[in-house]
This record gives sequence, C-alpha cells and structure tokens, in this order.
Amino acid sequence: MKVLWSWLLELCDLDRQPTVEEGARALTRGGIEIEGTTDLGAGFTGVVVAEVVAKRPHPQADKLTLVDVIVEKDGTATQVVCGAPNVPAPGRKVLWARPGAKLPGNITLGEKPVKGIVSPGMLCAEDELGLPEDHAGIVVLDQDDRTALGSPAQLALGIADHVLEVNAPANRGDVLGHLGVARELCAMLRGTLVWPDADLAPYSRGAAPAPALELAIDAALSPRYTARFLEGVKVGPSPARIRQRLRAVGVRSISNLVDVTNYVLFELGTPLHAFDAATLSSGVIGVSAARVGEMFTTLDHVARTLVPGDAVIRDGAKAIALAGVMGGLDSEVTAATTRVLLESASFQPLAIRRTAKRLDLPSEASLRFGRGVDPELAAFASARAARLMCQLAGGTVAEPLYDAYPGRKAPAAIDVRLARVQSLTGVAALDAAACTDALERLGFAVTGQGPHLAVTPPSSRSDVTREVDVIEEVLRVAGYEQVASTLPALRKAPGVPELDRADVARRALANAGGTEAITYGFQSAERCGVLGLAGADRRSQPIALRNPMSAGQAVMRTSLLPNLGAAITRNQSFGRPDVCLFEVGSVFLRRGEGVAEQPLHELADEPVWAAGVLAGQRRAQLGAGTPWDVFDAKAFALEAIRAIAGDLTVQATATAAVAYLHPGIAGELSIALDHRRIVVGWFGELHPAVRQRLGITGPAFAYEVDLGALPVAGPAQMRAIPKFPGTERDISLLLADSIPAATVHAVIAAVAEPLVTGVRLLEDYRDPKLGAGMKSMLWSIAYRSAERTLTEAEVEKAHEAIVARLVENLPAQRR
Amino acid sequence: MSDLITNLEKLGEEFRAVIAPLGDEQAIRAAQAQFLGKKGKVSELMKELGKLPPAERPAVGVAANKVKAAIEQLTSARLGELADIAAQADLARVADVTLPARPLGGGHLHLLTQVRLEAVQIFAELGFVVAQGPQIETDWNTFEALAIPKEHPARDMQDTFYLSNEIVLRTHTSPVQVRTMLTQAPPIRIVAPGQVYRRDDDPTHSPMFTQLEGLAVDTDISFSDLKGTLLHFVKRFFQRDLGIRLRPSYFPFVEPGAEVDMQCSFCGGSGCRICKQTGWVEIGGAGMVDPEVFAHCRIDSERYTGFAFGMGLERMAMLRHNVNDIKFYYEGDVRFLEQF
Repeated sequence: MKVLWSWLLELCDLDRQPTVEEGARALTRGGIEIEGTTDLGAGFTGVVVAEVVAKRPHPQADKLTLVDVIVEKDGTATQVVCGAPNVPAPGRKVLWARPGAKLPGNITLGEKPVKGIVSPGMLCAEDELGLPEDHAGIVVLDQDDRTALGSPAQLALGIADHVLEVNAPANRGDVLGHLGVARELCAMLRGTLVWPDADLAPYSRGAAPAPALELAIDAALSPRYTARFLEGVKVGPSPARIRQRLRAVGVRSISNLVDVTNYVLFELGTPLHAFDAATLSSGVIGVSAARVGEMFTTLDHVARTLVPGDAVIRDGAKAIALAGVMGGLDSEVTAATTRVLLESASFQPLAIRRTAKRLDLPSEASLRFGRGVDPELAAFASARAARLMCQLAGGTVAEPLYDAYPGRKAPAAIDVRLARVQSLTGVAALDAAACTDALERLGFAVTGQGPHLAVTPPSSRSDVTREVDVIEEVLRVAGYEQVASTLPALRKAPGVPELDRADVARRALANAGGTEAITYGFQSAERCGVLGLAGADRRSQPIALRNPMSAGQAVMRTSLLPNLGAAITRNQSFGRPDVCLFEVGSVFLRRGEGVAEQPLHELADEPVWAAGVLAGQRRAQLGAGTPWDVFDAKAFALEAIRAIAGDLTVQATATAAVAYLHPGIAGELSIALDHRRIVVGWFGELHPAVRQRLGITGPAFAYEVDLGALPVAGPAQMRAIPKFPGTERDISLLLADSIPAATVHAVIAAVAEPLVTGVRLLEDYRDPKLGAGMKSMLWSIAYRSAERTLTEAEVEKAHEAIVARLVENLPAQRR
Repeated sequence: MSDLITNLEKLGEEFRAVIAPLGDEQAIRAAQAQFLGKKGKVSELMKELGKLPPAERPAVGVAANKVKAAIEQLTSARLGELADIAAQADLARVADVTLPARPLGGGHLHLLTQVRLEAVQIFAELGFVVAQGPQIETDWNTFEALAIPKEHPARDMQDTFYLSNEIVLRTHTSPVQVRTMLTQAPPIRIVAPGQVYRRDDDPTHSPMFTQLEGLAVDTDISFSDLKGTLLHFVKRFFQRDLGIRLRPSYFPFVEPGAEVDMQCSFCGGSGCRICKQTGWVEIGGAGMVDPEVFAHCRIDSERYTGFAFGMGLERMAMLRHNVNDIKFYYEGDVRFLEQF
C-alpha cells in the first residue's frame, strides 16, 4: 500500500518532524516494512511559481502569446513566449521553467528566440513536468492558491512529497490506511495520533431530518452497518489537493463524491460506499446472503451469478451492491446525483475474501474488508466522509446516523505475566513500567503493576488476542535490538541421525569425477515420456499438478534420467559436449496402481535414486580424451553402491528389458540380500530412440541406482596383511564370444580352490582370425597361502585343476 | 724374479687400458674378473710363483697384492666416474613444466549441496540434527498445523502448487517441524533442509528452491537464543564478523515473528548495489513457535517454548558466491556447475 508522507505527518503530533528516511526506518524497525520511498518531485528542477502581470499577442504569430511574469511581489517582470491557448488573465499564477531548469526527458531550458522574440525558459503544462494528467494547456493554479511566488512548482503541485511503499503484514488490516500507519509511527517516535476532523455540526445545523430508514442486517455477515443521508450535493470535480493525494496513492480522480469515499478509505483504512439515494425506494437497507443463482450487475457492467456465501446489500429485496466488493450499476452516484446514502460498515472477512476471489474482483475495498475493518471506526468514518462531501460538493447532512451494530464486542482484557514476557523474550529489562510504556504508546490500555498486567488492545487491533500477541507488541515497540544474543543450553545429547545415503552417494560420485546437477522435481508430461516406458510401469503414470505455472512443470518426475538427458542436449548446444553429470534425489511415484488420471489423495512414494549420464569424452591432459563408454557408466553405478553398501558382491547381468537402454548394451545390477536377489540399478548405453527424443548428438550412457534398496555397510573391517608372497599364473582361452566374462569368473569361483586370492581378466580379444563367433581371453589368477610360501608344484596343481575345469565347462580351448 | 714382478705391474697398466673405453658396469665387472678372477690374468701369472726360490716369493706376493689393489681401485674409480656421468645425464633431463596439468578424476558437488552440507555442519556443532520429510505433503502438515487454516490471508503469501484439495507440494520445510514434534518429546533440536515449491518465477525466485529450517524446543528457549543461534551461523558461514538484525514480521506459525537481516556480505554494511544501499540483506524468517502450533503438535506451550527459523540456501549461496540469477542452479549447465 502506498502512503503519502505529508498525509501521514498530518495525522501525527511529533516533537520533531522526522525526515522521510527516519520515518521509514522507524516503521520498518517496528515491523511495518517500508519497501521503498519515492520522491514525487524528483522529475524536474528549476520550475517556480510565477504570477502573470500582463499578456499581449506575439507580433509574428497568431497562436503565440507574450506573457510578463513576476516571481516576487512588485518584482521586475520577465517576458516569456507561450504557445498555450489558456494563458490566464493577470493576477493568476502559472509555473515558469526558468533558464537552467531541468525537465523530464533530459531537457535543460535556456534562452532561445521563438519567432524572433527571445523567451527565457517557458511556462509549463503538466505533461511537460512528467505528470500523468495531460492537459491541453499550461498549468494555471487555482484562484485561491496560497503558494508563495518564487516557490518550487513541486509545492504548488503537491509533489514536494514522498510516497512510502508499505508492505502490510497479512494480519494487520489496521495499517491499510494512513491513520493506522500514523498510529505505528507515533508509537515508534513517541508522538500523539491526530484524528482528522469529522465535525458535522456546520453541515447538519438546521438541516431537515433524514427520511425514515430501517436496517435489516445479518449479523453473521456484517457486525456493524451504518448509513446516513446527505441532501443537496452537487457532483463535480475534486479540488487539486484531493486529486493530487489520490493520484499519489494510485487512484484516479472520478468525482468529488467518489473521490471522498476513496480519500477516506486511504485515510482511515475504512472503505465506504455512496449510493444515489434517489435510486432507493423501499426504506429498508439490508445485508443478507445471496440466493442460489441470484444475478447481479456490478458497476463495471458485468452481470454476475451469486452464490449463497456472497454478502449482498439490498434495498428491500433488490440487490444494490456486492457487500465490500463492488457496488451495483443501478445505484451508483452519477453526475445527476443530489442525494446520497453513505454506507460505512464492517463485513465478515472470510465472506468478502471468498467472494472477491471467486469473482476475481480484488479491489481496495475487498482487500481491507478481507483483512477485517474495525467496526468501532464505522461511525467516525461516516462522519469524516460526510464532512468532506459537504465541503467539496455542498449539501447538508441529514441526521440521524442509522447504525446497526449486532456484532458489538465488549473489549476484553488479556492477562499478561511479566515473568513470561521476560522468559520468552530473554530481555530482563521488560518490567511492568517498560511493558506499560510500550503498550500505551500503541494505544493499549494497561492496568496492574505486575506480576500480572491486564492489557486491553484498541478495537483496531483484532489481531491481538493472546498473551503471546501482547508480548510481541511489547518487544517490537521496545525494539528487537534490545534482545541479546545467547545460545540455548544443551541438556541432552543430540539424537543420532541415520546415515544420509543421498549425501554418501553424492560425495562418492563427485569424488569419482561426476558433476552434480540439481533439477526440478517437476517436468513436462512430454519429458516424462521420453523414456518410452510401458503403460504398466509406475513411472509412466506421473503425479500431475493441479495448478502448474507452465506446461514445462506439469507433472512430478518419476525418474532422474529425463532431466539429465535434457541437460546433455543443453550442454551440447552450448558447445560443451563432454558431460558427466549425476543427480541424487527423490522421484515421485503413486502408491497403488492404475490411478494415473486420478488426483492424488494420499502421500506419494518418494524413493531416492542416484542417476548419471555420460556423453563425449573424459578430459585428457592434451588433445582428445578417451570417449566415455558403458564401462564408465558401470563404474559410477558400482561406486555409488560401494559407498553405501561396502564391498559386497554386485552381480551384473545383460538385460534387454530396460526400455530406455540399448538392448545389447545394458546391464542390470543386483545383490543377494536375505537369500533373495534384489535389483538395485541399471547401466548401459542410452537407447537410440531416447537419444533422438531428447535431441542428443552421439552416443550417451546412463546409470541409475535405487539407494533405498541398498543395505548400509558397517564400518570397514581390516583384513590381514599377507605375510607370505603370492604368485600369479595366466591362462589364455579360446572360447565362444557369447560366453560372458561373468560365466568364466563363476566357473573359477565354483572350483573353490582355497589358494586363489584374486582373478583378473587381462585381455578380451576378438578377431575373425580366431574363427567365427570366437574370442580369446587372457585371465590371471593369483595364488597365496596365509600359512607358508607356496611351492611351484602346489601352485601348478591348483592352476591346472582350474584350467581343466574351464576347458571342460565353458567349453574352451587352452591357447 | 724381476720379470714376474714386472709382468704383474704391467697388468695394472693393461687393465687401465682395457676398461678405459668401457661404459657400463657389467662390462667393467667382467673385465675385472678377467684380471682378478680365479682364472684371471693375475692368477695365471702367480702360477709361476712356485718356480721361484722361496726367498723371492714374498716380494712377488707383495707386488701381486699391490696390483690387485690397483685394479680394484681402478674399477671403483671408473664406476664412480660412470655414476657421475649418469647422474649428470639424469640431471640434464628437462620437462616443459608449463604444459597443462593432467586432469585428476574428481568432479563437483553442486554449489547448493556444498552450502547445505556446510550449513548443516554449523548447526550440528550447536547440537542440531538433520530431520527430513516428504516433498509431497498433506495440507494439514503444511498449513493447518502451522496455524494457517484454509482461506487464511497468509496462504496468499505462499502461492501453493496443489496435487489435490488435501495434498500439496510443500511450500516450506516447516512440515518437518510438525512431523518431528508429533513423534519426539522435547528437548528437540533439528534442522530440516530440503526442496520446497512455490508458484513464483523471476530472477530471484524459482518455483523450486531449497530451504533450511531450524527448530529448537525446550523448557526455556528464548528469543535471545534464536538471535544468538542465527548470529553464530552467519559469522561461521560467511567467515566474517557480520552482524544480524531481527525485524518484527508476521508468520502465522511464530509469535513474536521476525524477518532476519544480516549485514551485507558484499559491502560489509556500508551500502552497495546488492543491499540497495541499506547495508542489510534479508536472509530469512524466524520467531518463537506459536502456541497454536504447539497445541496442534500436542506439546504443552506452558511448559515448553521454542524457536524456529527458515532460510533459502539459494540466497545464502548467492550472497556468498555472487550468483546473479537463481535459474543457474537448476539448468544442469556444466559451465556453471564446474565453477564450484
């Protein structure tokens, strides 16, 4: 909300007038955050108030006038050339931009000839000063303007002023008007609130009494409703001062009557509504709920269908306004209005918020009613507005004020324990005197000396209902800076957290050379589909957002790979084709099955996965590096598993069943756990179709590991360092190329030779010369005994037994 | 007799000539063996010793020993020479040390991970333990239990992604507070880092971001404990003596509530573009746990008090590492990721 500095100061009685910066700082310090201040008159300099003393036509041009102006009483006149049609008669004041004046658009004025006659500067129109109202002619000040000659034009235009942008807390409807902000400023700077003038005596004296009016108010919708009649008003424009203030807070001037309701709304924070009384006929004004299907045309000419939650103002049975949200077309004041029914009321906040939200009609009024308007202020606001209307539009006030107040609440005192104030804040200085001082500055009533205080908040502060609310008030007036910095005493050892598998995996993968990415938890349905998963796969049925911001964030991710794959494309497009990215994070899966199109009614499964993609090359010292391949993907996957589960045996088996991996270059990783085999991840080359959907150039590899499926290893246990030397024997085999390395390994393991301590594959060689479908493998087997140095004969015997088994079981030939 | 001695003495000179051209140790040792070995030249000559009269033999023996010693000395001198040459040749090798270093295998943790781990570590030193919860949460845990009923104006502060009427993407990690308080008895001291979601998208707001939330509940937790905890964090995290200030603010789940500012880490508080000349930058929200939240979580608010705070890790990383657009965190752009 915008607050005009001069308006705010008008409502405060302060020992010393603060600067706008001091005021903004004081308010922010107290919790009414000022997000920024704008100097309204900063747009130009060197423009002054001048009086026209003579004028005559330009000898060389019909449309130009020569104007003599003075900037001090009886001073020397200066002749200025003016092209405007509205040069006023002598005696009226205008705005003169003197030579040297700076105007918006980087214009600096000088002395220059206009049709042969030198003009020192010019007389200004509003648009030339950067003001939004574009009048056809120059600015002519009102006849009774009292701005001194020679003063800066900003003073005459009401823009020697600042606007403060107030970020009102959601629970503080009371600061949505200058009065409420003034109350805060007075509390912070020890000033006294100055109430604006609402004396109606001059305008009601001798006036005829008001026509009879009955108020039929639904207390559930309107705690208080007041109405009063004004007679003999004349609709017209508002004076400059009103227009300027409304403009400063962002409201367009409409007419004196409407402007007054807006003026009081910004002044007191209480929205008002003016009905043309001539359109009302029943003698009964009511507030009641809308009927099912009831139609109503608001003053923006839109016919709206109402629901029973909407509060409606009625003339008899006829709807005349949507309470607190918008008036009706038929009853609004027009240029012809002479009689006004002025509404000042308070409505049930929730009803107003619902209606405004449903009809998408946020307004200054609904914003305030939606936060709660102080019903105690209704009569005062009515008088204030009536007084201003009579001042601006003539007319008289017809007594009485019709006032229905079914929701009146007796002020309730809150019990506040000083001990609690001190223990909660940690500030021992907050004794009875300090608390009382702080609260009274805010307009709270305080009785008692302690240990208990009885505290009654002002009616405007409906947000303060509990002891803890009062404590906050005390602390913010006293100042949060009063609070010392201490640390809480640690009396109990902290709990022992579970191992964070995600972070273990992150560290392992980064240490291994991966670069961690973090991507959005949501994605487009299209991206979710790039993996080409079968319909029965849970991952093909993502959870949809009901109100996404864009199609790119429509569904929750079910796999980490689509975003990582898209990152390859992105990096390739930036000329960075070498990518080794990983992500560790949650994916989101529905519980239960076959519910893809249903909204989610329970929490989701959020398993944590580690996944990575590789494309391009590993970085080399010079020139081209080694291209990443499927065995790098396998290594990363195994590293993530090892980091969490330790040195357990992970079995890799070829699989063609993973839709998004190349059917011939993909492996499934599994472990044995509790006599069951559990799949914990996959690795492989990304399927060409997936690559194509993502727009990836060249081969790419991927891996993923289900971290939640892994057992957590205990601390690594030391194995004995060998005391005796070991020895190695190689065996070269010729065998069918369809026999996987794992099978050879398994055959060796099955021999269960106790002297074997390690098996390594040294060569996997394929050559047509070996024969169709054949390959050659060179294996090295390590032998060692923990008890003695082995003899040649022992090693030879063990080795030959293994070779024999390989030759027979694989089958293979020894080369 | 003199002939034999003369011949022995000649062997010394002969050996010197033999090894002079030899460049490696093995050849020199072989040459030495030809002279000093069992069938070497010295031994061959000495076979003639028996033919001499006994009186002459000692002199020949002396001469033989002398030549043996001379040959051994020549051998080691020559080997020493060769070792010197080899050492010099070794030292003559050069490498262009300005060639690039060979890349090591290590990769990069995401900046947000680094910042999170560090923040968690700082709070761990104060006894806070990490707690976590799901990103897809119930409306009750996310809002109702935190004193933000449906249609409360504060719900507008956090524009929410809904999955259904009762299930949301959590807008803050505060549901973890609720889950913790419902399952643990005080004293409680947790930090809850994690991804949260709000309908907000501009250079300083991302629809997904990372929050770190803290909660301490005990019999005597005070507002000053909150301030001291946050002050310690800021100093440790920025490794600088930066001050903090708390400003009154409104969050439905804390009372008193505060906005947390710290002295600008770019200018140290003197005013710059980052802090809009104020010297202060906002880093999060905090306050004392509202009694209504305690009531929802079945904790006696007369017996226990608590503080809670929350901050955005993207913002902390932005302030410390000068990241100028929040979108960089989530794009998987290696040009960004590899900088940290």
